[in-house]
Amino acid sequence: MTSFCLEVSGDFACFTRPEMKVERVSYDVITPSAARSVFEAILWKPAIRWEVRRIEVLNPIRWISVRRNEVKSKISVSNVKEAMNGTRDELAMLIEDERTQRASLLLRDVAYRLHADLLPVGDDARANPAKYREMFQRRAEKGQCINQPYLGCREFAARFRLVTDPASEAPPLTESRDLGWMLYDMDFAAVDDPKPRFFRADLQNGVIDLTQAQVTA
Amino acid sequence: MILQALYDYYQRKREDPDPARHLPAFGLENKEIPFIIELTAEGRPLGIIDTRQGDGKKKQAQRYLVPKGVKKASGVAANLLWDTAEYALGIDARGKPERVVEQHAAFRLRIAELPEAARLDSGIQALESFYADYGWSALADDPVWAEIVEKNPIITFRLQGDGDLICQRPLVVANDDGKAEGGAEASTCLITGVLAVPERLETAIKGVWGAQPSGANIISFNARAFESYGKTERQGENAPVSPAAAFAYTTALNHLLDKGSRHRVQVGDASTVFWAQKDDAEIEEGFAAVFGGQDDPDAQTEHIRALLDAVQSGRFDGGRGDNRFYVLGLAPNAARISVRFWQSEPIHLIAKRTQDWFKDLELIRSEYDPPYPALKRLLASICLPTKDRPFGDMDRLPEVIVGGVMRAILVGGELPALILNSALQRCRADQARKDPTSGKPVRHVSYLRAALIKAVLSRHFRVHAPQRKEISVSLDRSNTDSSYLRGRLFALYERVQEIAADRELNRTIRDSFFGAAMATPRAVFPRLVRLNQQHLRDLRRSKAGTAGYFDKELRAVNDALDPKTAFPAACALQDQGVFTLGYYHQRQDFFSKSESSQSTQGESK
Repeated sequence: MTSFCLEVSGDFACFTRPEMKVERVSYDVITPSAARSVFEAILWKPAIRWEVRRIEVLNPIRWISVRRNEVKSKISVSNVKEAMNGTRDELAMLIEDERTQRASLLLRDVAYRLHADLLPVGDDARANPAKYREMFQRRAEKGQCINQPYLGCREFAARFRLVTDPASEAPPLTESRDLGWMLYDMDFAAVDDPKPRFFRADLQNGVIDLTQAQVTA
Repeated sequence: MILQALYDYYQRKREDPDPARHLPAFGLENKEIPFIIELTAEGRPLGIIDTRQGDGKKKQAQRYLVPKGVKKASGVAANLLWDTAEYALGIDARGKPERVVEQHAAFRLRIAELPEAARLDSGIQALESFYADYGWSALADDPVWAEIVEKNPIITFRLQGDGDLICQRPLVVANDDGKAEGGAEASTCLITGVLAVPERLETAIKGVWGAQPSGANIISFNARAFESYGKTERQGENAPVSPAAAFAYTTALNHLLDKGSRHRVQVGDASTVFWAQKDDAEIEEGFAAVFGGQDDPDAQTEHIRALLDAVQSGRFDGGRGDNRFYVLGLAPNAARISVRFWQSEPIHLIAKRTQDWFKDLELIRSEYDPPYPALKRLLASICLPTKDRPFGDMDRLPEVIVGGVMRAILVGGELPALILNSALQRCRADQARKDPTSGKPVRHVSYLRAALIKAVLSRHFRVHAPQRKEISVSLDRSNTDSSYLRGRLFALYERVQEIAADRELNRTIRDSFFGAAMATPRAVFPRLVRLNQQHLRDLRRSKAGTAGYFDKELRAVNDALDPKTAFPAACALQDQGVFTLGYYHQRQDFFSKSESSQSTQGESK
């Protein structure tokens, strides 16, 4: 069995739209890349790869808007290098000088059922695929994870539960909407210039079927 | 979804059969140009035409469809054949001679860069002759010249006898292929899904209240901390949008946000735009009327009534009702725009929820109160009154409320608790308020405040305390809720006092005790009961019949009160709200019956 199902829920979520990343606006539902990150938080090795197949939306889509103080610059790499070399005494970013306010439009009370396939890519995984499957099964059952799974942004922690029999669970939302083009994932083939890939998202009776999705290059 | 919906709106408006409502095609924009310099074919300037109409500050220049302007930042960048006087004529308006020379040179360069065919056009030839032979000094005698030098307005040129501006002449338009931003490679546009070189900087969105006057952006990566995946200073690549799609949605949004657009309302600090998937005037006008902002209150009431009738008679069922209605609230943050809320719901749901909203607000009122109060007035009533705005200054409205209220109306959920808090605070603060000119007491529990309190409480109780009796529209003598009864009691006590003293009092128990009676009844009511006994005694001596009436009412209320819960030491916010409504209902009951001896004398608005 290479396919696993997790039920993920949280109080807040922000699957930030790339075009509205500064004043954050969330997508209506979880993106495949965020779903993948939940699985990877539980188990990931370079030998395996997760591919999300199906997203089921369990709770109605609700919003909340918040405004937060953040900083507007990054510490420059050259400053860090100078400090390492000893030519710079002070390496700091004073938040009073860099403060900016950013508003966010978040989702609230979200719950999803995510179905993903564990695909072996490395030699060890191809040789012993069952080992990795068992590892994930054990960890997910116990609630073990490398880092706390999150819904879009790290501050929105998620609760997860392994679902062994998806058919016996509560049905998803009976809503159908066209969600337009959503971010599918980032393409890291060129490591220093990652490219976004989009797909046409269509919510049918609360389910997004990614196996049929047309993903752009 | 948001940009997608705006893009679809643009596509729809492009195909509008009515040419006045057309949105401009890619590469053009609608621009107000106040001054046009008319030239002969040889380039001799004939004069400057002022296109402005109206008077004083409201002067509006005529709009023309011109080649799209470049985004002006701090560098020197000229538009094609139209620009400010510094660029077009090279006059120094602000004391920076070197920069003006550069600006004018850039303007001339843009003309020189036009393809051969365009440069041979007689309009362009005339312009070149004008620059070569005459220059701006030939215009210095014109009456509006002083104004041009002072204000640095946008000017453009026209050939004598032509209807179009030089930049609108067919040869020029056909050959202007715009400046191409080379260098970057194509990526998928996230609005349309096609492959295109992404737009580097978004066109400014003007019309969001509170943002920079030069416009702000939704898609904006204007500081290093906002860029991702190493795309430093390549703003557009952080969110690839093709130029055509970018043009479409920014034009659509600017059109919706335009002054005088009927798709726009201002709710607190959020500039809200709304539109339907297919043109639907009834719901759009009804929706705008829900918020207020139109000057004619009667028209507003009519629109809302029409909308509610339409819901009632089922006109929103079926295909028309399935179209989506979009509401977008934009709030400013200096050079950026944040999305305060976004709702996209089918029309029949929006209509139904509007109906629910007015049902929750329904409250007994006097003839001069509006039957369907606009949201603006409702929210203003819970804001601090200032000298300029004695009915509540909306600028003081906390931002949190705006998004919460919009969502409550559109989605049908609870209203933010902060509204209840603010409303009760205003009631308490205004308990002793007198009208500054007449000296008469001002109604502190006004119709608007009471309606808002009722709406908040109705929705709150529906979710959290369904066993509590629903608050009625007018006085409900069978309601045994202790807070409601206390409110009625207070109103009765106040009325007895007023009548016993022949309404000659400067202060009643309302001025001194309303707030305390609302929040801490146990501390205050014993005193009020004693005072009431004295007032009743006075009343029996002067007007025995009226005293009898009040005796009956008071006895009914006191019988209904359960001694164990009648006067708690402190009251929760919801109970204070119910107290206020009980008070309001009872007072309305005094003034609504025309046959009783109580009249509206002595009580101002």
